[in-house]
Amino acid sequence: MLCKISRWMVSRAEDTGKTLPRFAERHVKRCGACREFARSSASLSTGLKAERAAFLDGVPEFPVRALAPTEVPATERGNVSGADRRPNRPWPFLRPLPAAAMAVLLIAVGAFVVFRIGRHEPQLSAQDRAAAMAAIKSVSSAPGELGGVVSEAESSLDKERQILEKSIASAAEYLQARLNIKIERRNPPSKAS
Amino acid sequence: MADHDRIGERTDEELAREARAGSGRSFEELARRYKRRLFVYLRSRVGSDQDAEDMVQDTFLKLYRNIGSYDPAYRFTTWLYTSANRLAIDSHRKKTVMTARVDVEDLGDLPEPASRMPTEAGASGLWDAARGLGESRFRVLWLRYGEDMSIEEIAAVIGRTKLAVRVLLHRARAALIERVGPGMGRVKALEPGVAGETVGK
Repeated sequence: MLCKISRWMVSRAEDTGKTLPRFAERHVKRCGACREFARSSASLSTGLKAERAAFLDGVPEFPVRALAPTEVPATERGNVSGADRRPNRPWPFLRPLPAAAMAVLLIAVGAFVVFRIGRHEPQLSAQDRAAAMAAIKSVSSAPGELGGVVSEAESSLDKERQILEKSIASAAEYLQARLNIKIERRNPPSKAS
Repeated sequence: MADHDRIGERTDEELAREARAGSGRSFEELARRYKRRLFVYLRSRVGSDQDAEDMVQDTFLKLYRNIGSYDPAYRFTTWLYTSANRLAIDSHRKKTVMTARVDVEDLGDLPEPASRMPTEAGASGLWDAARGLGESRFRVLWLRYGEDMSIEEIAAVIGRTKLAVRVLLHRARAALIERVGPGMGRVKALEPGVAGETVGK
């Protein structure tokens, strides 16, 4: 397991230029196979680069046609589809600078909208204001109607009190008959209420 | 004439910029520089030399048509290999559909297409050994050591993450060391075409 990790670290050092971790370095010094791997890995790079030219020499020559400018209509040059035009870069808005600019713009627009709504109370239109004033005037100019409403509310309360009195009087009569006692009303009810 | 002599000294990016401005000779120089390198790369992906040659032609034609969209801020090789890779993927998809329609019995005894790629371990023994590791491993080795691309550039070309590229490279190196053996100069019993573990698309 340590061999695998150490070899991965050797490869990582080869690809990224980072130094070998201390534990991997110690292991490579102790383990013969890993030492050989590290040595071979280092010489592989130079070996492959050195042999590249010889390898390409072994590939036979062949003509590449359709390269003369006349063979491709001038109107077709640069007339490419979206996929072909893509020069292997991320979508413009995913790049840091345009993304930051978009974020700032969005925040500015959001703040503007929020402050604009918060600062202004909803105002009544002239028609609404006139209707409200008319309603207030109609209530204040009809006192009879207002008194009628109040007396109606009071009459229902009085009716309820009378019902309660009757039921108490009835209960008192029952108790007098049952217990052979006399119950009297201390203050007779006033007629006015 | 002097201009013609100097064209070979220009960088790929300079040539591509000139080609974008309409110089056919600059584009021809780019094609001359890269056709065999591209052939090596594409040959590992397609079935025959002829297919690889056709794909090289298609790649350069596509590049010429799209040269207006080339951004000189980026390396020409990355753009070239990315285009070639996309074409190879498209071609593979089309071929898969066509293969499904062909009746195998109608084919008869067709001879194996002869490969023009070097097969014997010679001066380029390491690369020959690398070819036997399988398509995806050869591709990353070629881009890394044949084209001197960074991990980021390889990831962009083959459409994988940087970590995936590093894993592929690590496995490819380990397999190549295993195959070539200690000393790195001698090639152990090569069997061209014996594919190793394929991790590619």
